[in-house]
Amino acid sequence: MTFEIDYLALAPELVIVGTMLAVFILDLLLTRPNKFWTATVAVAGTALAAVPLVILAAEGSTRSMFDGSYVVDEFAVILKGVFIVSAYIVLLMSHHYIESDRYYQGEYYFLLLSSVLGSLVMASARDLIILFIGLELTTGPLYLLAGWRKGDAKSNEASMKYFILGVLSTAVLLYGMSLLYGLTGEITFAGLAEATADMVDEPAVVVALFGLIVGFGFKISAVPFHFWAPDTYEGAPTPVTAYLSVNSKAAGFVAFLVVMYQALPGLSDIWAPALWILAAASMTVGNLAALRQTNIVRLLAYSSIAQAGFMLVPFAAAAVADADLAEAFSATLVYLVIYAVMNLGAFAVVIAGARKTRSGDIAGWAGLAQVDTRLAVLVAVFFFSLAGIPPLAGWFAKFAMFRSVIIAGGTATVVLAAIAAINSVIALYYYARVVKSVWLDDPVGEFAPDVEAAPAGSLRLALLVALAITVVIGFFPAIATFVGDASRVIASG
Amino acid sequence: MSFIDWLGSPVNWVFLVVGLAILFSSWRVVTAKNVVHAALYLVAALGGAAILFLMLSAEFVAWVVVLVYIGAVLVLFLFGIMITRAPTGKDVGLDTPHKTSPALLSVATFVLLSWASIQAFGTTQVESVGEPTSTEVLGIALLGRFVIPFEVVSFVLLAALIGGVTIARRDLTPAEEEERRAV
Repeated sequence: MTFEIDYLALAPELVIVGTMLAVFILDLLLTRPNKFWTATVAVAGTALAAVPLVILAAEGSTRSMFDGSYVVDEFAVILKGVFIVSAYIVLLMSHHYIESDRYYQGEYYFLLLSSVLGSLVMASARDLIILFIGLELTTGPLYLLAGWRKGDAKSNEASMKYFILGVLSTAVLLYGMSLLYGLTGEITFAGLAEATADMVDEPAVVVALFGLIVGFGFKISAVPFHFWAPDTYEGAPTPVTAYLSVNSKAAGFVAFLVVMYQALPGLSDIWAPALWILAAASMTVGNLAALRQTNIVRLLAYSSIAQAGFMLVPFAAAAVADADLAEAFSATLVYLVIYAVMNLGAFAVVIAGARKTRSGDIAGWAGLAQVDTRLAVLVAVFFFSLAGIPPLAGWFAKFAMFRSVIIAGGTATVVLAAIAAINSVIALYYYARVVKSVWLDDPVGEFAPDVEAAPAGSLRLALLVALAITVVIGFFPAIATFVGDASRVIASG
Repeated sequence: MSFIDWLGSPVNWVFLVVGLAILFSSWRVVTAKNVVHAALYLVAALGGAAILFLMLSAEFVAWVVVLVYIGAVLVLFLFGIMITRAPTGKDVGLDTPHKTSPALLSVATFVLLSWASIQAFGTTQVESVGEPTSTEVLGIALLGRFVIPFEVVSFVLLAALIGGVTIARRDLTPAEEEERRAV
């Protein structure tokens, strides 16, 4: 039996593969002062990978390969777009950051691009094997990148913690998957959905499902599987942290929801309450812990845990209430897309701000507005957007979330909505505290002079892209709705 | 089917012996006070797993376990112990005072998994596939139906290799780097 390979459908992945190899070979040929070329090639290659995506999006057809286990439909194309754009922003953020210290550059870009490749594969995966391997390729290189600052004990700790807990959760995830396969003999999502439809009472299925939830819960750093996140985020190089909190989290989210939604819809009586608890716990624990943080990266780490909770809300609510899952799925996706951009913006601001203030402490950022108004404006934009203040993109994410909850209805749903509402207020407090420190407080320390602290051109571009998307989506939410609508493709099968 | 009936079939005898051997060696892997002994017991445990695969007519997988796990991974373990001059004698540091809760957790996991498996499969008799899966069939599957995961796995390995070397190598100090450039 032969299988046709559709090269246009695979083109984004192939371009990334080509770029990886080019970066790798280039790194061997160049001397240290010229290593920045590897970054340039990586950025250019990532931009190039968007071209076949645009073609596929314009065509709008569904391409399916290998018995429907690798599908490029509108949903996959949109997700790949999100992964590529956020990878592009992270690469721009990395460029100067990685060059300015004694990091290994070529290898850095190679590993980052491997992770991007993994997320692209994952977006198309419609069977357990491809999904698992895609997810591993997404997170595997990050274990190493988290420890890229080799001389720094914090970075080593970041890498070790992430690696050990990551491997453990992967093992649990794989165990769950193999149990599912053992029970049903199926690996494709369509086959699993059919085979598990009437298996709710089977204890082994519950054990398998538990394994999947633990494994995916770790990848999205949902409470109670979040213990690695703050230390890893703080110790890893900041661009890697940005990537961890956006790309790898988004990849985990997509895997989680697609598996639950497409492969195991018959078991929603079991996973719906589990998701409800994950959502409520992540929001509450993440936000309460964020209140006490003095370091800005740790603050963003806990905030990203809380945001993961918000993202789970629509889906958990709809599943608990037995409402329309397609609606909830699109709300979660809209949230994910908007979160990706504004969180990357926030991290880009942190990189620029840390150079200017020479400090990672929120107290050290006091009075930044007095010396650098533009940077202070950006701080306000991204942090207020994360808090969900109109007219910045974050408000629409929150709006979509609450709307889908209201549509779902039901008591458990309303309770979850109330928890989400309280948490939004708490979140506003700590986001606003950073902005207040920057704008209203008096400076406590010396700021670095402009000569050494001016953000590099690539970082400016990263900030500009994130800013543009954040503001434009805020004013024209229809763009984000379009993203959500694309997710209905997956709902129809 | 009663246990006596079950023992009537010689294949089940083999299974029983191999299973007990795996159980014993796995137990010793964890409890051995000597790293080298632990590694060697792991060889025995994996060898038993290979035999189980053989009994399931999965010849290729069985030999992969032997070649890759026993032949390569464990030999690397032993090399690693040798080269890093880790203590090869009795090592008290291998033991931990916090044994009770992990042990309880392991037992609980075991009970849960066995119970779930028995509930799911019970006395279901799985028909033997008969023909062993040939390498040819596997090869065609790997490069046909499963070509994408197959290729992606190679990138997982490449990334692990490159990243591992970068993290593990000793960095040159700026002075050494200067010196190297001069040459």
